[in-house]
Amino acid sequence: MGNVQTEKLEVNNEMANRKKVNWKFLHSWVPPLIAFLIVMLAWQFGTAMLQIPPYILPKPTDVFMATVDNWSRLWDSASTTILESVIGFFFSVVIGVSGAIIMASSKILERSLYPYAILLQTIPIVAIAPIIVIWFGSGMNAIVIIAFTIGFFPMLSNTLIGLNATDRGMLDLLSLYQASKWQIMWKIRIPAALPYIIAGLKISCTLAIIGAIVGEYIAGIGGGDGGLGYAITVASTTMEIPYLFACGIAASILGIVFFLLVSLLSKVLLGSWHESEMKKD
Amino acid sequence: MMTTTELEEMVERKTGQHVVKMKGVSKIFPNGNVAVDNVDIDIADGEFISFVGPSGCGKSTIFKMISGLVENTTGEIEILGSQVQTAQQKRTDVGFVFQDATLLPWRSVLENVMLPLEFQRMSKVEKREEAERALKLVGLKDYAKSLPRQLSGGMKMRVSIARALVAKPKLLLMDEPFGALDEITRQSLQSELLRIWESQKMTVLFITHNVFEAVYLSTKVAVMTPSPGKIASTVNVSLPFPRDDEIRTTHQFSDIVARVSRDLKF
Repeated sequence: MGNVQTEKLEVNNEMANRKKVNWKFLHSWVPPLIAFLIVMLAWQFGTAMLQIPPYILPKPTDVFMATVDNWSRLWDSASTTILESVIGFFFSVVIGVSGAIIMASSKILERSLYPYAILLQTIPIVAIAPIIVIWFGSGMNAIVIIAFTIGFFPMLSNTLIGLNATDRGMLDLLSLYQASKWQIMWKIRIPAALPYIIAGLKISCTLAIIGAIVGEYIAGIGGGDGGLGYAITVASTTMEIPYLFACGIAASILGIVFFLLVSLLSKVLLGSWHESEMKKD
Repeated sequence: MMTTTELEEMVERKTGQHVVKMKGVSKIFPNGNVAVDNVDIDIADGEFISFVGPSGCGKSTIFKMISGLVENTTGEIEILGSQVQTAQQKRTDVGFVFQDATLLPWRSVLENVMLPLEFQRMSKVEKREEAERALKLVGLKDYAKSLPRQLSGGMKMRVSIARALVAKPKLLLMDEPFGALDEITRQSLQSELLRIWESQKMTVLFITHNVFEAVYLSTKVAVMTPSPGKIASTVNVSLPFPRDDEIRTTHQFSDIVARVSRDLKF
Protein backbone atom coordinates (compact mmCIF):
# COMPACT_ATOMS: atom_id res chain seq x y z
CA MET A 1 0.00 0.00 0.00
CA GLY A 2 2.65 2.42 1.11
CA ASN A 3 4.85 1.46 -1.81
CA VAL A 4 2.16 2.09 -4.33
CA GLN A 5 1.60 5.50 -2.89
CA THR A 6 5.25 6.48 -3.00
CA GLU A 7 5.50 5.21 -6.55
CA LYS A 8 2.54 7.30 -7.53
CA LEU A 9 4.10 10.22 -5.81
CA GLU A 10 7.34 9.74 -7.72
CA VAL A 11 5.51 9.54 -11.02
CA ASN A 12 3.69 12.72 -10.15
CA ASN A 13 6.96 14.34 -9.23
CA GLU A 14 8.52 13.32 -12.51
CA MET A 15 5.63 14.69 -14.44
CA ALA A 16 5.79 17.86 -12.48
CA ASN A 17 9.50 18.13 -13.24
CA ARG A 18 8.98 17.59 -16.94
CA LYS A 19 6.21 20.14 -16.94
CA LYS A 20 8.44 22.52 -15.07
CA VAL A 21 11.22 22.18 -17.64
CA ASN A 22 8.82 22.67 -20.51
CA TRP A 23 7.24 25.58 -18.82
CA LYS A 24 10.64 27.12 -18.10
CA PHE A 25 11.56 26.74 -21.76
CA LEU A 26 8.32 28.30 -22.89
CA HIS A 27 8.66 30.96 -20.26
CA SER A 28 12.00 32.18 -21.60
CA TRP A 29 11.48 31.76 -25.34
CA VAL A 30 7.86 32.33 -26.18
CA PRO A 31 7.37 35.95 -25.01
CA PRO A 32 10.29 37.40 -27.03
CA LEU A 33 9.25 35.33 -30.06
CA ILE A 34 5.69 36.61 -29.89
CA ALA A 35 6.94 40.17 -29.51
CA PHE A 36 9.19 39.66 -32.52
CA LEU A 37 6.35 38.30 -34.65
CA ILE A 38 4.03 41.16 -33.68
CA VAL A 39 6.64 43.77 -34.57
CA MET A 40 7.39 42.03 -37.87
CA LEU A 41 3.71 41.77 -38.79
CA ALA A 42 3.07 45.39 -37.82
CA TRP A 43 6.07 46.43 -39.87
CA GLN A 44 5.04 44.31 -42.87
CA PHE A 45 1.38 45.34 -43.00
CA GLY A 46 1.85 48.80 -41.52
CA THR A 47 4.18 49.89 -44.29
CA ALA A 48 1.78 48.45 -46.87
CA MET A 49 -1.27 50.11 -45.33
CA LEU A 50 0.36 53.49 -44.83
CA GLN A 51 1.89 53.19 -48.29
CA ILE A 52 5.41 54.00 -47.09
CA PRO A 53 7.71 53.69 -50.11
CA PRO A 54 10.46 51.03 -49.87
CA TYR A 55 13.21 53.68 -50.18
CA ILE A 56 12.04 55.12 -46.85
CA LEU A 57 11.12 51.94 -44.98
CA PRO A 58 11.32 48.63 -46.83
CA LYS A 59 9.07 45.78 -45.72
CA PRO A 60 10.68 42.84 -43.84
CA THR A 61 10.10 40.71 -46.94
CA ASP A 62 11.98 43.29 -49.06
CA VAL A 63 14.90 43.15 -46.65
CA PHE A 64 14.83 39.36 -46.72
CA MET A 65 14.79 39.32 -50.56
CA ALA A 66 17.65 41.81 -50.66
CA THR A 67 19.61 39.53 -48.34
CA VAL A 68 19.01 36.49 -50.51
CA ASP A 69 19.69 38.30 -53.79
CA ASN A 70 22.91 39.91 -52.58
CA TRP A 71 24.04 37.02 -50.40
CA SER A 72 27.58 36.68 -51.80
CA ARG A 73 28.15 40.44 -51.67
CA LEU A 74 26.86 40.60 -48.11
CA TRP A 75 28.89 37.58 -47.02
CA ASP A 76 32.09 39.07 -48.47
CA SER A 77 31.50 42.36 -46.64
CA ALA A 78 30.63 40.58 -43.41
CA SER A 79 33.70 38.36 -43.52
CA THR A 80 35.94 41.39 -44.09
CA THR A 81 34.37 43.07 -41.06
CA ILE A 82 34.71 39.88 -39.00
CA LEU A 83 38.41 39.62 -39.86
CA GLU A 84 39.09 43.27 -39.00
CA SER A 85 37.20 43.22 -35.76
CA VAL A 86 38.68 39.90 -34.63
CA ILE A 87 42.23 41.18 -35.21
CA GLY A 88 41.40 44.51 -33.52
CA PHE A 89 39.76 42.68 -30.62
CA PHE A 90 42.72 40.34 -30.29
CA PHE A 91 45.13 43.25 -29.98
CA SER A 92 42.93 45.13 -27.52
CA VAL A 93 42.78 42.03 -25.33
CA VAL A 94 46.49 41.24 -25.50
CA ILE A 95 47.67 44.83 -25.10
CA GLY A 96 44.93 45.78 -22.63
CA VAL A 97 45.55 42.81 -20.33
CA SER A 98 49.34 42.97 -20.48
CA GLY A 99 49.24 46.75 -20.01
CA ALA A 100 47.11 46.26 -16.91
CA ILE A 101 49.48 43.60 -15.57
CA ILE A 102 52.44 45.95 -16.02
CA MET A 103 50.58 48.83 -14.35
CA ALA A 104 49.39 46.60 -11.49
CA SER A 105 52.93 45.45 -10.82
CA SER A 106 54.15 48.98 -10.15
CA LYS A 107 52.23 51.81 -8.54
CA ILE A 108 54.54 54.37 -10.15
CA LEU A 109 53.86 53.02 -13.63
CA GLU A 110 50.15 52.95 -12.93
CA ARG A 111 50.16 56.52 -11.70
CA SER A 112 52.17 57.78 -14.65
CA LEU A 113 50.45 55.84 -17.46
CA TYR A 114 46.82 55.38 -16.44
CA PRO A 115 45.81 59.05 -16.93
CA TYR A 116 46.89 58.81 -20.57
CA ALA A 117 44.89 55.65 -21.05
CA ILE A 118 41.85 57.60 -19.80
CA LEU A 119 42.77 60.44 -22.15
CA LEU A 120 42.88 57.98 -25.05
CA GLN A 121 39.42 56.80 -24.06
CA THR A 122 37.91 60.28 -23.88
CA ILE A 123 39.00 61.34 -27.37
CA PRO A 124 36.05 60.55 -29.67
CA ILE A 125 37.16 57.83 -32.04
CA VAL A 126 35.64 59.60 -35.06
CA ALA A 127 37.84 62.59 -34.28
CA ILE A 128 41.12 60.66 -34.44
CA ALA A 129 40.09 58.14 -37.09
CA PRO A 130 41.11 60.42 -40.01
CA ILE A 131 44.56 60.82 -38.43
CA ILE A 132 44.89 57.06 -38.14
CA VAL A 133 43.91 56.74 -41.80
CA ILE A 134 46.54 59.31 -42.77
CA TRP A 135 49.21 57.50 -40.76
CA PHE A 136 48.41 53.92 -41.71
CA GLY A 137 46.78 54.37 -45.11
CA SER A 138 43.18 53.68 -45.95
CA GLY A 139 42.55 50.00 -45.65
CA MET A 140 42.84 47.06 -43.33
CA ASN A 141 45.63 48.46 -41.11
CA ALA A 142 43.84 51.65 -40.19
CA ILE A 143 40.55 49.85 -39.59
CA VAL A 144 42.16 47.27 -37.31
CA ILE A 145 43.83 50.05 -35.35
CA ILE A 146 40.53 51.88 -34.93
CA ALA A 147 38.83 48.66 -33.78
CA PHE A 148 41.71 48.12 -31.36
CA THR A 149 41.60 51.66 -29.96
CA ILE A 150 37.93 51.47 -29.15
CA GLY A 151 38.15 48.07 -27.42
CA PHE A 152 41.42 48.64 -25.63
CA PHE A 153 40.35 50.79 -22.70
CA PRO A 154 37.59 48.56 -21.30
CA MET A 155 40.08 45.69 -21.31
CA LEU A 156 42.76 47.74 -19.60
CA SER A 157 40.59 49.30 -16.91
CA ASN A 158 38.61 46.15 -16.12
CA THR A 159 41.74 44.04 -15.80
CA LEU A 160 43.43 46.69 -13.67
CA ILE A 161 40.47 46.89 -11.29
CA GLY A 162 40.45 43.09 -11.05
CA LEU A 163 44.18 42.88 -10.35
CA ASN A 164 43.95 45.55 -7.67
CA ALA A 165 40.92 43.97 -6.00
CA THR A 166 42.74 40.83 -4.83
CA ASP A 167 41.82 39.72 -1.33
CA ARG A 168 44.15 41.31 1.25
CA GLY A 169 44.38 38.14 3.35
CA MET A 170 45.43 36.14 0.31
CA LEU A 171 48.21 38.62 -0.50
CA ASP A 172 49.42 38.57 3.12
CA LEU A 173 49.47 34.80 3.07
CA LEU A 174 51.50 34.66 -0.11
CA SER A 175 54.02 37.16 1.18
CA LEU A 176 54.36 35.03 4.30
CA TYR A 177 55.24 32.12 2.02
CA GLN A 178 58.01 34.26 0.56
CA ALA A 179 56.36 34.28 -2.87
CA SER A 180 57.94 36.68 -5.35
CA LYS A 181 55.99 39.55 -6.90
CA TRP A 182 55.51 37.63 -10.13
CA GLN A 183 54.53 34.42 -8.37
CA ILE A 184 51.83 36.40 -6.57
CA MET A 185 50.78 37.85 -9.92
CA TRP A 186 50.48 34.50 -11.70
CA LYS A 187 49.12 32.39 -8.88
CA ILE A 188 46.69 34.81 -7.25
CA ARG A 189 46.12 38.16 -8.88
CA ILE A 190 45.54 37.11 -12.48
CA PRO A 191 43.20 34.19 -11.69
CA ALA A 192 41.33 36.38 -9.20
CA ALA A 193 41.00 39.08 -11.88
CA LEU A 194 39.58 36.64 -14.42
CA PRO A 195 35.92 37.56 -13.78
CA TYR A 196 36.82 41.22 -14.38
CA ILE A 197 38.79 40.34 -17.50
CA ILE A 198 35.79 38.44 -18.84
CA ALA A 199 33.54 41.43 -18.12
CA GLY A 200 36.01 43.49 -20.17
CA LEU A 201 35.90 40.95 -23.00
CA LYS A 202 32.11 41.17 -23.10
CA ILE A 203 32.29 44.93 -23.56
CA SER A 204 35.22 44.98 -25.95
CA CYS A 205 34.00 42.26 -28.30
CA THR A 206 30.96 44.25 -29.41
CA LEU A 207 32.94 47.51 -29.38
CA ALA A 208 35.46 45.94 -31.77
CA ILE A 209 32.73 45.46 -34.37
CA ILE A 210 31.51 49.02 -33.90
CA GLY A 211 35.13 50.15 -34.26
CA ALA A 212 35.62 48.15 -37.44
CA ILE A 213 32.44 49.58 -39.01
CA VAL A 214 33.34 53.15 -38.00
CA GLY A 215 36.78 52.51 -39.46
CA GLU A 216 35.30 51.31 -42.73
CA TYR A 217 33.12 54.41 -42.92
CA ILE A 218 36.20 56.57 -42.79
CA ALA A 219 38.93 54.43 -44.30
CA GLY A 220 36.74 52.92 -47.00
CA ILE A 221 37.65 49.58 -48.43
CA GLY A 222 39.70 47.26 -46.30
CA GLY A 223 41.82 44.51 -47.76
CA GLY A 224 40.48 44.49 -51.33
CA ASP A 225 36.80 44.09 -50.51
CA GLY A 226 35.00 46.60 -48.39
CA GLY A 227 33.46 45.53 -45.11
CA LEU A 228 29.93 46.13 -43.85
CA GLY A 229 30.61 49.77 -43.04
CA TYR A 230 31.79 50.38 -46.56
CA ALA A 231 28.82 48.44 -47.98
CA ILE A 232 26.49 50.64 -45.92
CA THR A 233 28.00 53.88 -47.28
CA VAL A 234 27.77 52.51 -50.83
CA ALA A 235 24.20 51.26 -50.39
CA SER A 236 23.07 54.62 -49.02
CA THR A 237 24.52 56.55 -51.98
CA THR A 238 23.03 54.12 -54.50
CA MET A 239 19.72 54.14 -52.64
CA GLU A 240 19.61 50.34 -52.16
CA ILE A 241 17.61 50.79 -48.99
CA PRO A 242 16.57 47.13 -48.42
CA TYR A 243 20.23 46.10 -48.79
CA LEU A 244 21.20 48.87 -46.40
CA PHE A 245 18.84 47.33 -43.86
CA ALA A 246 20.28 43.88 -44.53
CA CYS A 247 23.80 45.22 -43.85
CA GLY A 248 22.70 46.85 -40.61
CA ILE A 249 21.02 43.66 -39.42
CA ALA A 250 24.08 41.61 -40.42
CA ALA A 251 26.28 43.96 -38.35
CA SER A 252 24.14 43.52 -35.25
CA ILE A 253 24.01 39.74 -35.74
CA LEU A 254 27.82 39.78 -35.80
CA GLY A 255 27.81 41.63 -32.52
CA ILE A 256 25.39 39.16 -30.94
CA VAL A 257 27.39 36.13 -32.14
CA PHE A 258 30.60 37.68 -30.80
CA PHE A 259 28.97 38.30 -27.47
CA LEU A 260 27.56 34.78 -27.26
CA LEU A 261 30.98 33.29 -28.01
CA VAL A 262 32.56 35.32 -25.20
CA SER A 263 29.72 34.31 -22.87
CA LEU A 264 30.42 30.69 -23.71
CA LEU A 265 34.09 31.20 -22.90
CA SER A 266 33.05 32.81 -19.63
CA LYS A 267 30.94 29.76 -18.74
CA VAL A 268 33.86 27.44 -19.47
CA LEU A 269 36.39 29.46 -17.46
CA LEU A 270 34.30 30.59 -14.49
CA GLY A 271 31.45 28.08 -14.39
CA SER A 272 32.92 25.97 -11.63
CA TRP A 273 33.86 28.66 -9.16
CA HIS A 274 32.57 32.17 -9.78
CA GLU A 275 29.16 33.38 -8.61
CA SER A 276 28.41 35.14 -11.88
CA GLU A 277 28.42 31.91 -13.89
CA MET A 278 27.00 29.44 -11.39
CA LYS A 279 23.67 27.82 -12.04
CA LYS A 280 20.90 29.55 -10.17
CA ASP A 281 18.63 27.29 -8.18
CA MET B 1 44.53 14.86 43.35
CA MET B 2 47.79 16.13 41.97
CA THR B 3 49.72 18.92 43.61
CA THR B 4 50.42 22.13 41.78
CA THR B 5 54.11 21.35 41.41
CA GLU B 6 53.33 17.97 39.89
CA LEU B 7 51.03 19.58 37.39
CA GLU B 8 53.53 22.25 36.55
CA GLU B 9 56.13 19.58 35.96
CA MET B 10 53.75 17.83 33.61
CA VAL B 11 53.31 20.95 31.52
CA GLU B 12 57.04 21.49 31.72
CA ARG B 13 57.78 18.05 30.33
CA LYS B 14 56.02 18.83 27.10
CA THR B 15 58.04 21.94 26.66
CA GLY B 16 61.71 22.61 26.14
CA GLN B 17 63.70 25.18 24.25
CA HIS B 18 62.31 28.66 23.49
CA VAL B 19 60.58 29.03 20.16
CA VAL B 20 59.54 32.67 20.50
CA LYS B 21 61.31 35.26 22.62
CA MET B 22 60.00 38.81 22.87
CA LYS B 23 61.83 41.37 24.93
CA GLY B 24 60.55 44.91 25.46
CA VAL B 25 58.59 44.80 22.22
CA SER B 26 56.43 47.79 21.36
CA LYS B 27 54.59 48.86 18.27
CA ILE B 28 53.73 52.51 17.85
CA PHE B 29 51.90 53.38 14.64
CA PRO B 30 52.79 56.59 12.77
CA ASN B 31 49.63 58.25 14.11
CA GLY B 32 50.99 57.84 17.65
CA ASN B 33 48.67 54.98 18.55
CA VAL B 34 50.45 52.53 20.86
CA ALA B 35 49.19 49.14 19.70
CA VAL B 36 51.58 47.04 21.74
CA ASP B 37 53.43 48.34 24.78
CA ASN B 38 56.57 46.74 26.18
CA VAL B 39 55.71 43.07 25.81
CA ASP B 40 58.00 40.40 27.26
CA ILE B 41 57.19 36.78 26.63
CA ASP B 42 59.10 33.57 26.18
CA ILE B 43 57.30 30.71 24.52
CA ALA B 44 58.83 27.29 24.93
CA ASP B 45 58.94 24.52 22.35
CA GLY B 46 55.82 22.38 22.28
CA GLU B 47 53.68 24.91 24.08
CA PHE B 48 50.11 25.83 23.15
CA ILE B 49 49.68 29.43 24.16
CA SER B 50 46.56 31.51 23.67
CA PHE B 51 46.36 35.29 23.60
CA VAL B 52 43.03 36.43 25.01
CA GLY B 53 41.77 39.96 25.07
CA PRO B 54 39.17 42.38 23.75
CA SER B 55 39.48 43.82 20.26
CA GLY B 56 42.14 46.48 19.96
CA CYS B 57 44.44 45.03 22.61
CA GLY B 58 47.20 44.34 20.08
CA LYS B 59 46.82 40.55 19.77
CA SER B 60 46.91 40.62 16.01
CA THR B 61 49.71 43.16 15.96
CA ILE B 62 51.88 40.81 18.04
CA PHE B 63 51.21 38.07 15.50
CA LYS B 64 51.99 40.34 12.60
CA MET B 65 55.28 41.26 14.24
CA ILE B 66 56.16 37.62 14.84
CA SER B 67 55.33 36.76 11.22
CA GLY B 68 57.26 39.76 9.92
CA LEU B 69 54.27 41.46 8.27
CA VAL B 70 54.68 44.43 10.61
CA GLU B 71 57.95 45.73 12.02
CA ASN B 72 58.28 46.30 15.76
CA THR B 73 59.13 49.84 16.89
CA THR B 74 61.26 48.81 19.87
CA GLY B 75 62.56 45.64 21.46
CA GLU B 76 63.71 42.31 20.13
CA ILE B 77 61.82 39.40 18.65
CA GLU B 78 63.47 36.06 18.13
CA ILE B 79 61.71 33.13 16.54
CA LEU B 80 63.17 29.65 16.27
CA GLY B 81 66.54 30.94 17.36
CA SER B 82 66.93 33.80 14.88
CA GLN B 83 65.78 37.40 14.48
CA VAL B 84 62.48 37.86 12.65
CA GLN B 85 64.03 39.57 9.65
CA THR B 86 66.59 36.83 8.99
CA ALA B 87 64.12 34.11 9.87
CA GLN B 88 62.18 35.16 6.76
CA GLN B 89 64.54 32.97 4.76
CA LYS B 90 63.08 29.72 6.04
CA ARG B 91 59.43 30.46 6.41
CA THR B 92 58.33 26.88 6.08
CA ASP B 93 59.06 26.66 9.81
CA VAL B 94 56.04 28.84 10.49
CA GLY B 95 52.44 28.11 9.50
CA PHE B 96 49.54 30.56 9.46
CA VAL B 97 45.79 30.26 9.86
CA PHE B 98 43.56 33.34 9.70
CA GLN B 99 39.95 33.91 10.65
CA ASP B 100 38.97 33.64 6.99
CA ALA B 101 39.93 30.37 5.40
CA THR B 102 41.36 32.43 2.47
CA LEU B 103 41.11 29.55 0.02
CA LEU B 104 41.49 30.08 -3.71
CA PRO B 105 38.01 29.48 -5.14
CA TRP B 106 39.32 28.27 -8.51
CA ARG B 107 41.52 25.58 -7.01
CA SER B 108 40.45 22.20 -5.67
CA VAL B 109 40.95 21.42 -1.98
CA LEU B 110 44.11 19.45 -2.74
CA GLU B 111 45.56 22.22 -4.92
CA ASN B 112 44.81 24.74 -2.20
CA VAL B 113 46.70 22.68 0.35
CA MET B 114 49.63 22.34 -2.08
CA LEU B 115 49.98 26.12 -2.39
CA PRO B 116 52.71 26.70 0.26
CA LEU B 117 54.83 23.94 -1.27
CA GLU B 118 54.81 25.65 -4.65
CA PHE B 119 57.41 28.09 -3.38
CA GLN B 120 59.78 25.29 -2.46
CA ARG B 121 61.93 22.95 -4.46
CA MET B 122 60.01 19.75 -4.39
CA SER B 123 58.82 17.28 -6.99
CA LYS B 124 55.19 17.33 -8.08
CA VAL B 125 54.62 13.84 -6.68
CA GLU B 126 56.10 14.80 -3.34
CA LYS B 127 53.94 17.94 -3.12
CA ARG B 128 50.90 15.81 -3.82
CA GLU B 129 51.81 13.25 -1.19
CA GLU B 130 52.46 15.92 1.42
CA ALA B 131 49.15 17.63 0.64
CA GLU B 132 47.30 14.31 0.89
CA ARG B 133 48.98 13.62 4.22
CA ALA B 134 47.91 17.03 5.56
CA LEU B 135 44.34 16.50 4.34
CA LYS B 136 44.24 13.13 6.05
CA LEU B 137 45.36 14.82 9.25
CA VAL B 138 42.31 17.09 9.24
CA GLY B 139 39.98 14.33 8.11
CA LEU B 140 39.26 15.63 4.63
CA LYS B 141 40.97 12.94 2.55
CA ASP B 142 37.80 12.27 0.59
CA TYR B 143 37.29 15.89 -0.37
CA ALA B 144 40.59 16.39 -2.21
CA LYS B 145 38.90 17.06 -5.53
CA SER B 146 36.10 19.29 -4.20
CA LEU B 147 36.06 23.01 -4.74
CA PRO B 148 35.99 25.33 -1.70
CA ARG B 149 32.46 26.53 -2.44
CA GLN B 150 31.17 22.98 -2.01
CA LEU B 151 32.40 22.88 1.61
CA SER B 152 30.86 24.14 4.83
CA GLY B 153 32.54 26.83 6.93
CA GLY B 154 34.05 24.29 9.29
CA MET B 155 35.42 22.20 6.44
CA LYS B 156 36.94 25.27 4.81
CA MET B 157 38.71 25.99 8.08
CA ARG B 158 40.02 22.41 8.14
CA VAL B 159 41.43 22.92 4.64
CA SER B 160 43.03 26.13 5.84
CA ILE B 161 44.61 24.25 8.76
CA ALA B 162 45.80 21.49 6.42
CA ARG B 163 47.42 24.15 4.23
CA ALA B 164 49.22 25.56 7.27
CA LEU B 165 50.40 22.10 8.30
CA VAL B 166 51.52 20.89 4.88
CA ALA B 167 55.03 22.30 5.20
CA LYS B 168 55.45 20.69 8.65
CA PRO B 169 55.86 23.95 10.59
CA LYS B 170 57.54 24.07 13.99
CA LEU B 171 55.46 27.09 14.91
CA LEU B 172 51.79 27.56 14.04
CA LEU B 173 50.22 31.02 14.31
CA MET B 174 46.43 31.01 14.44
CA ASP B 175 44.58 34.33 14.41
CA GLU B 176 41.00 33.74 15.63
CA PRO B 177 40.64 30.74 13.36
CA PHE B 178 37.30 29.58 14.76
CA GLY B 179 35.83 33.05 15.29
CA ALA B 180 33.35 32.77 12.45
CA LEU B 181 32.13 29.24 13.20
CA ASP B 182 29.10 28.07 15.12
CA GLU B 183 29.61 26.67 18.63
CA ILE B 184 29.19 22.99 17.69
CA THR B 185 31.62 23.13 14.79
CA ARG B 186 33.95 25.22 16.91
CA GLN B 187 34.11 22.62 19.69
CA SER B 188 34.74 19.73 17.34
CA LEU B 189 37.51 21.69 15.61
CA GLN B 190 39.04 22.54 18.99
CA SER B 191 39.30 18.84 19.89
CA GLU B 192 40.70 18.12 16.45
CA LEU B 193 43.28 20.87 16.80
CA LEU B 194 44.44 19.48 20.15
CA ARG B 195 44.75 16.02 18.62
CA ILE B 196 46.86 17.41 15.77
CA TRP B 197 48.99 19.48 18.13
CA GLU B 198 49.69 16.41 20.26
CA SER B 199 50.58 14.23 17.28
CA GLN B 200 52.74 16.80 15.46
CA LYS B 201 55.60 18.24 17.39
CA MET B 202 54.93 21.93 17.17
CA THR B 203 54.26 25.10 19.11
CA VAL B 204 50.93 26.82 18.63
CA LEU B 205 50.19 30.50 19.20
CA PHE B 206 46.46 31.03 19.20
CA ILE B 207 44.48 34.28 19.24
CA THR B 208 40.93 34.27 20.52
CA HIS B 209 38.52 36.43 22.46
CA ASN B 210 36.76 33.37 23.85
CA VAL B 211 38.05 32.56 27.34
CA PHE B 212 36.61 29.02 27.36
CA GLU B 213 38.31 28.24 24.06
CA ALA B 214 41.62 29.60 25.36
CA VAL B 215 41.51 27.56 28.57
CA TYR B 216 40.38 24.37 26.85
CA LEU B 217 43.17 24.46 24.27
CA SER B 218 46.18 25.95 25.98
CA THR B 219 49.06 25.10 28.23
CA LYS B 220 49.28 28.83 28.97
CA VAL B 221 46.97 31.78 28.47
CA ALA B 222 48.37 35.27 27.95
CA VAL B 223 45.74 37.76 29.07
CA MET B 224 45.92 41.05 27.20
CA THR B 225 44.39 44.42 28.05
CA PRO B 226 43.89 47.34 25.66
CA SER B 227 45.08 50.94 25.34
CA PRO B 228 47.97 50.51 25.37
CA GLY B 229 47.98 46.81 24.44
CA LYS B 230 49.98 44.77 26.89
CA ILE B 231 50.10 41.38 28.54
CA ALA B 232 48.36 41.77 31.91
CA SER B 233 49.14 38.26 33.14
CA THR B 234 50.09 34.80 32.02
CA VAL B 235 47.96 32.00 33.43
CA ASN B 236 49.18 28.40 33.46
CA VAL B 237 46.46 25.95 32.51
CA SER B 238 47.35 22.93 34.62
CA LEU B 239 44.83 20.55 33.11
CA PRO B 240 46.09 17.18 31.87
CA PHE B 241 46.27 16.12 28.22
CA PRO B 242 44.64 14.56 26.28
CA ARG B 243 41.65 16.73 27.08
CA ASP B 244 38.16 15.61 26.21
CA ASP B 245 34.87 17.46 26.24
CA GLU B 246 34.17 16.41 29.83
CA ILE B 247 36.99 18.60 31.05
CA ARG B 248 34.89 21.64 30.18
CA THR B 249 32.55 20.85 33.08
CA THR B 250 35.19 20.27 35.79
CA HIS B 251 35.84 22.61 38.72
CA GLN B 252 39.45 23.10 37.75
CA PHE B 253 38.38 24.26 34.32
CA SER B 254 35.90 26.80 35.63
CA ASP B 255 38.42 28.03 38.22
CA ILE B 256 40.93 28.82 35.51
CA VAL B 257 38.24 30.43 33.34
CA ALA B 258 37.29 32.59 36.32
CA ARG B 259 40.91 33.56 36.89
CA VAL B 260 41.44 34.55 33.25
CA SER B 261 38.16 36.46 33.16
CA ARG B 262 39.16 38.36 36.30
CA ASP B 263 42.51 39.31 34.82
CA LEU B 264 40.76 40.54 31.70
CA LYS B 265 38.82 43.09 33.74
CA PHE B 266 41.95 44.92 34.87
